[in-house]
Amino acid sequence: MTTIDANSPASTAVDPPVDNYLTYTRGILSWALTLDHKRIGVMYLFAVLSSFFVGGVFALLVRTELLTPGVTLPWVDADTYNEYFTLHGAIMVFLVIIPSIPAALGNFVLPVMLGAKDVAFPRMNLGSFYLWIVGAVCAVYSLVAGGFDTGWTFYTPYSTTTSFSGVIPVLIGVFILGFSSIFTGINFVVTIHKLRPPGMTWFRMPLFLWATYATALIQVLATPVLGITLLMLIVERVAQIGLFDPAMGGDPVLFQHFFWFYSHPAVYIMILPAMGIISEIISVHAHRHIFGYRFIAFSSVAIAIFSFLVWGHHMFTSGQSPLMNTLFSAITFSVAIPSAIKVFNWLSTLYKGSISLNTPMLYGLGFIFLFTIGGLTGLHLGTLNTDIHLHDTYFVVAHFHYVMMGSALIAMIGGLHHWWPKMFGKMYKENHGAIGFWLVFIGFNVTFFTQFMLGSHGMPRRYYDYMPEFQIYHVISTIGSYIMALGFFWTAYYLIASLISGKKAPANPWGGRSLEWQCSSPPPHDNFKTTPSVGDCYDFSVVHWDEEEGGYVVDRSGLPESEEKPSSH
Amino acid sequence: MANTVSPFEDPQERANAGVFGMACFIISLVMVFAATILAVVVVRLQDPGSWPPGGEVGLPPVLLASTVVLVISSGTMVAANRSARVGDGPGLARWMIATFVLAILFLMAQGIAWWELLDLGIGLDTDLWSWTFYVLTALHALHVLGGIIPMAVVTERARRHEYSVENHRGVTYVGMYWHFLDVAWLGLYATLWWATSV
Repeated sequence: MTTIDANSPASTAVDPPVDNYLTYTRGILSWALTLDHKRIGVMYLFAVLSSFFVGGVFALLVRTELLTPGVTLPWVDADTYNEYFTLHGAIMVFLVIIPSIPAALGNFVLPVMLGAKDVAFPRMNLGSFYLWIVGAVCAVYSLVAGGFDTGWTFYTPYSTTTSFSGVIPVLIGVFILGFSSIFTGINFVVTIHKLRPPGMTWFRMPLFLWATYATALIQVLATPVLGITLLMLIVERVAQIGLFDPAMGGDPVLFQHFFWFYSHPAVYIMILPAMGIISEIISVHAHRHIFGYRFIAFSSVAIAIFSFLVWGHHMFTSGQSPLMNTLFSAITFSVAIPSAIKVFNWLSTLYKGSISLNTPMLYGLGFIFLFTIGGLTGLHLGTLNTDIHLHDTYFVVAHFHYVMMGSALIAMIGGLHHWWPKMFGKMYKENHGAIGFWLVFIGFNVTFFTQFMLGSHGMPRRYYDYMPEFQIYHVISTIGSYIMALGFFWTAYYLIASLISGKKAPANPWGGRSLEWQCSSPPPHDNFKTTPSVGDCYDFSVVHWDEEEGGYVVDRSGLPESEEKPSSH
Repeated sequence: MANTVSPFEDPQERANAGVFGMACFIISLVMVFAATILAVVVVRLQDPGSWPPGGEVGLPPVLLASTVVLVISSGTMVAANRSARVGDGPGLARWMIATFVLAILFLMAQGIAWWELLDLGIGLDTDLWSWTFYVLTALHALHVLGGIIPMAVVTERARRHEYSVENHRGVTYVGMYWHFLDVAWLGLYATLWWATSV
């Protein structure tokens, strides 16, 4: 179909040659120099998924090496193994999960959902993409320059004394990636404040926008602290003197404080937009008004605020005073409140909904399941006495994989399936999607649930070698990782296949009500021909399946007059 | 037009969004400098000895001169902004040039301060005091350099009278950033004084 926007009823649309952002202009340069947020989002998506492939290969190498105690892969000695898990962590955190939802999906979806033509500063948006590329190149260059084995946390004094010479390039890389993240954050904050069309009040915004807004606040406030910390670390490594070096009166724990002051909020940079996606997926695919809109919106902001107050829970065993430990532990527990509010609201949304159990919804339900496990096991780690035992074991590894991968990344993949028809105008095969989901979901749980057991039995994280009694768990975990890898390759296959031979996507394949479903798939260059008018984006009572259209349409005639008028409440 | 440079159709709205974006950027930078100062304060408080350990050298006196220069440049920047708002083109050009010259003077004074210490054989790796001195001044100088480049562009455009009452976004942004650098330096300078004299 042609461009449909909120003001023109679908029935009057004839078929003129359709402009869409993919074919609007042609040639490599029209992509490389584009200021269109949709194209920048697609470029980010490609870059992030490529990094995901690289990080995933290192994960599989790590898992394969752990199949047996001692040497498994003949070319992987203990030092190489340290490099592999460090690379896996650094790539997945800085190149994949942090930019995945905000920079890739957020860039594409945010302005369209908001009803804007673009983000507030399109040139800065392209600039942050290239900063990302430069940062990624620096990080990759560190491999050639001698690699690094510090773990993704770069703890001193190890990072200033290790003989691996790739440390400085990767620190510079992460520093530059931080800039990219800050600029994306600024862009989103200003866009949401200044580009809301008439009628799009704060409390009419889709919850994904609330989540990206809260995320952007963290990006703007926390990332600079990481930047300066890494700069000081670089100076310290070069000059062999610095504020983190105890030999001259410095304080190595200060590094940990500064690092986690960023990196704990960074965990919420990963999970908040993921929760935003889940709010969309759950309500759209259950065709039911989101339950507790304001609670979900405010809990995003609450989580963003809490995120700055809990970093010390990464350092319970680093010699903090018992008072500090107790305070951080208590504040950490309170994060459970806004997180649980969200989960209960999603469940209430599902209750009596008419659930379409398609691929995005499967990922949405998978998220709720995995996030609940990830969140609840966090309580064991936030409790001071159990943390002494579980600290730096595979229990921690399992916990944060449930949250970062099982939740953030699964939501990202779910969001990708949710918006795939919108982004590329093609439908993937539904049964293929379901197979992919189950492979990933089962593989994930086999891999990481096993690691909870491994950790509570005392297997430390980051070890190359282990006692023979741990082997059975390692073998099961590795098999799980292969199943998961199969699932991801399968997903890549059917998504790419859909681009070539997929059915043409209607404007609104799922029955969504927010603005991105009101422009054609893929959206036109300008998103909307006229400034769209805004209703309640979770009121699905007016959304109906239209056989002729092959998708859902919003029945405007049935709307109360007041709803479509700009309102100022 | 293949590319939309700004989604704002109204220049005033565009300028408002720009000011808001600049404010976010400055908040981000405040976090950088606040974290730096905090790190120095924590380490200094834990060190019972005197800074510098020998106690005989102090902060180079030229820093006081550079501080005065920077504060004055903030004043000339305010004047430039006022000229832009009332549409006084020649005044804007004059005040921008003055600010630009003062900015260069500030950097030269900072250079002299470095030179004085280096001349005494005190380098980055001598002790934590010298490390702090060099890192704090360098961090600020890098941000000044980052401000001087757009300031040069704005000054040149002001000389060509390319700004109007309605559109002088460049002057506004450079001004905001410049005042921030001024305040940041006062914070760093106070920190250095405190760390040296305690």
